[in-house]
Amino acid sequence: MNPIANLSPSLSSEPSRRHFLGISGVFVLGTCLPACTPQQPQLRPRPQPQLKLKPPATFEPNLFLALEPDGTARVVAHRSEMGQGIRTALAQIVADELDADWSRVKVEQGQGDAKYGDQNTDGSRSILLNYDRLRIAGATARLMLRQAAANVWKVPVEEVSTENHEAIHAATGRSLGYGELAGEAAALSVPENVPQKSIAEHRYIGKDAVHVDAGDIARGKGTYGADYRLPNMATAVVVRCPWLGGGVKSIVNKPTAKPGLVGIEILDPSAPAGPVFNPVGGAAVVAEDTWTAIRIARDLDIEWTDSENRGFSSEALRRSLREAARQPGTPVPNAEKGDVDAAFAAGGRKLSATYETPFLAHAPMEPPVAVADVSGDRCMVHAPLQDPQSARNLIAQWLQFPLENVSVTPTLLGGAFGRKSKPDFALEAVELSKRLQRPVRVQWLREDDIGHDYFHAASAQYHRAVINRRGHPTAWLQRTAFPSITTVFAPQTSMPAGWELEMGFSNLPYRVENQRMESTGIRPGVRIGWLRSVCNIFHAFSANVFADEMAAAAGRDPIEHRLDILAEGGKLTVPGMQPPADHELDIGRLRHVIEQVRTLSEWDRPRREGTGLGFAVHHSFRSYVATVLEVSMANGRPKVSNAYVVLDCGTYINPDTCRAQMEGAVVFGLSLALHGNITMREGTVMQSNFHDYPLLRIAEAPATKVHLVPAQGRLPAGVGEPGVPPVAPALVNALFAATGKRHRTLPIKA
Amino acid sequence: MAYQLNVNGRTVEVGATPDTPLLWVLRDHLGLTGAKYGCGSGYCGACTVHVDGSLTRSCMLPISALAGKEIGTIEALEEQHPELVDAWVQGNVAQCGYCQAGQLMSAAALLDDEPQPTDADIDTAMFGNLCRCGTYVRIRAAIHEAARRRAEKAAQSAQSR
Repeated sequence: MNPIANLSPSLSSEPSRRHFLGISGVFVLGTCLPACTPQQPQLRPRPQPQLKLKPPATFEPNLFLALEPDGTARVVAHRSEMGQGIRTALAQIVADELDADWSRVKVEQGQGDAKYGDQNTDGSRSILLNYDRLRIAGATARLMLRQAAANVWKVPVEEVSTENHEAIHAATGRSLGYGELAGEAAALSVPENVPQKSIAEHRYIGKDAVHVDAGDIARGKGTYGADYRLPNMATAVVVRCPWLGGGVKSIVNKPTAKPGLVGIEILDPSAPAGPVFNPVGGAAVVAEDTWTAIRIARDLDIEWTDSENRGFSSEALRRSLREAARQPGTPVPNAEKGDVDAAFAAGGRKLSATYETPFLAHAPMEPPVAVADVSGDRCMVHAPLQDPQSARNLIAQWLQFPLENVSVTPTLLGGAFGRKSKPDFALEAVELSKRLQRPVRVQWLREDDIGHDYFHAASAQYHRAVINRRGHPTAWLQRTAFPSITTVFAPQTSMPAGWELEMGFSNLPYRVENQRMESTGIRPGVRIGWLRSVCNIFHAFSANVFADEMAAAAGRDPIEHRLDILAEGGKLTVPGMQPPADHELDIGRLRHVIEQVRTLSEWDRPRREGTGLGFAVHHSFRSYVATVLEVSMANGRPKVSNAYVVLDCGTYINPDTCRAQMEGAVVFGLSLALHGNITMREGTVMQSNFHDYPLLRIAEAPATKVHLVPAQGRLPAGVGEPGVPPVAPALVNALFAATGKRHRTLPIKA
Repeated sequence: MAYQLNVNGRTVEVGATPDTPLLWVLRDHLGLTGAKYGCGSGYCGACTVHVDGSLTRSCMLPISALAGKEIGTIEALEEQHPELVDAWVQGNVAQCGYCQAGQLMSAAALLDDEPQPTDADIDTAMFGNLCRCGTYVRIRAAIHEAARRRAEKAAQSAQSR
């Protein structure tokens, strides 16, 4: 069956209802007819002037693409850009199937709107969710442009091909630019079941592309949330209660009128748990300019009300986690294999260890910031939001406005890492703009960002195994304990959720006859949130270090040992758990990245005395990543000289972005392994800025080599997050190789 | 207070309190939003600009200290450093990009001081600029590339003379 031939009759029917209804907006550019538009290449014979082309019109065959009469292809990016290159990748997909000239593709940011489907830019799944639909969007438009040209030339559509923004009739050497055809194509009805290109035909998918925003960014022109401006906009800096749940009791030194001060507004604290993304409350200093707001906010002396979280101590919580990890927890349902207790009782070489990780803050370089304009019964928000759609819903609920009266437009996100999934900062701006009836920008200071984050959970893991002479575990008990993200959603919950355990805990890929997994939760006195790769951070850490300890105990090479304790191939099946469709862990692919990183890192090449190699591998967000770090000690601190990363993320769009994400993940992982540590005393976060919550600096960043496994045609998988989990364990394992010292607590103390 | 400032070669007048940091003068009063707020304390370098050619954390420097000084920002960097800006774009250095204006300002100052920097020179000169996305390896590569192109251009113009 030839889908093109079958579609032709409906495609060529005219005049179409769609055209008469004017569903596509009509743009008339001056008096210039399509045949004289300046961008047309002069190499091919021009269409005859007597050709009857429909008037210029915007061709808008679907939500994601609009083709203007001047040839500009506007692609809507409905996912948020936070450095992962999504605006570029989404456009690459559409442009490829459209056979577009990349230089004529313009990316526009989609507002939060359910019409786009999922917009939650989180969980490393933008490509997975959109690869097929965007290919279809581009392919459908291309077929319609071919049909439009066929109608003009009165030839069968099968004779019309496309190349670089043009429809071509090879037999007669004629061509028409996409812009010229826009009006014609807009009059056609939209076909269904349009075939897409084969992998071999891809011209942008799978090819390096410079990010569409790279030029603006390098010239200081990119618009982040912090840069968005409206006329008559005031700026607010909010002083928040150091402990969660406390509110303003009184302002001891409330300033009277000061130049530039608009007012001080009290924001009530939200309930200790839920609604999840409501602001924490505080005293908002609203001023005509940012510095005035900062200066007055810093001088405020506020008496706060108490809350149950005022007694919260991270040290006490971590002690509880440590103790919990040493006690039996709640077994992962139906996941027990063999008889772990009998295996431990039977003797053999036993190994056990406890691992600990601290609270972490996201600390995106752009602290939370949002601009809201509530005017009458309408609200407009511009902010760096990872999920503009859910933010829009929450804002409409907050204001009790109909949804259609609220618009939410994501700006560029100056880093996010999960923090900007939570729109509490946008709600602050909305509330203040509602009260003041003028546009308000809420600017979080770095101290606010570090002190009032949705923190990555502190955790403890306990591992115990019986190993044979080859270091192979015949029994493996693992426990994990951490405050669950679900504690911010529900006031009673304390147990980790199944999806948190599936992040590298209940889906451990090794061959073990006797295995049990147990978890314990705890309610914290702070908000918990997801940070780039989430629970994979601590689960990959403990499992990879413990596996390395097994290899060391048996005197084995860590990579040889790891390949030994994996099955030869097949898919991981976890009793009682059904992985989401196509989310099975493929042992063959896991083995492949391990073997590849052994080659990439020249694992067997002897290094200098005092230099160690460490290895870790992890499957997360459907991707497979193996990492080797090369480490020595310098001035009493670990010095990572080289990083080697192999990524199998299935089908990839922009390989250069994939490499960049792995490079960045190494830095992010080293930041948390070497520096990251958030502590709380009396409910108050003890860190405030980069002097006491340091991030990795350039001198600590290793040279990094990345190998991307060619896997076009496979299901697209995650890229933004999966590079992070193997980094910390690879570092610990490398330090063991270099020094013989085993670190089991993060951050690493030299 | 009214102050006369020289920003990117142009004289502008700004009314602000004497303690207003240059960062907020640029962003709120002059609409030059390329320099970013990152920490307000000089730790992160996102606000880096040039004052009389020297690297300056604009979040720390009050407007009252700027009389008669020449301020250069990212918005005008390309005029002096086209190779650097282009190497940055072609090298796909930026991820989220928020810190990159500061990175570029520091990189430009480095190249002015040391036309052929080593990795160690780069690590020292760029130490004050944090990047949470972790673009450091590309920053090194782009600075080397810009240095190479500048040297090439200098050699060409020497030949043609």
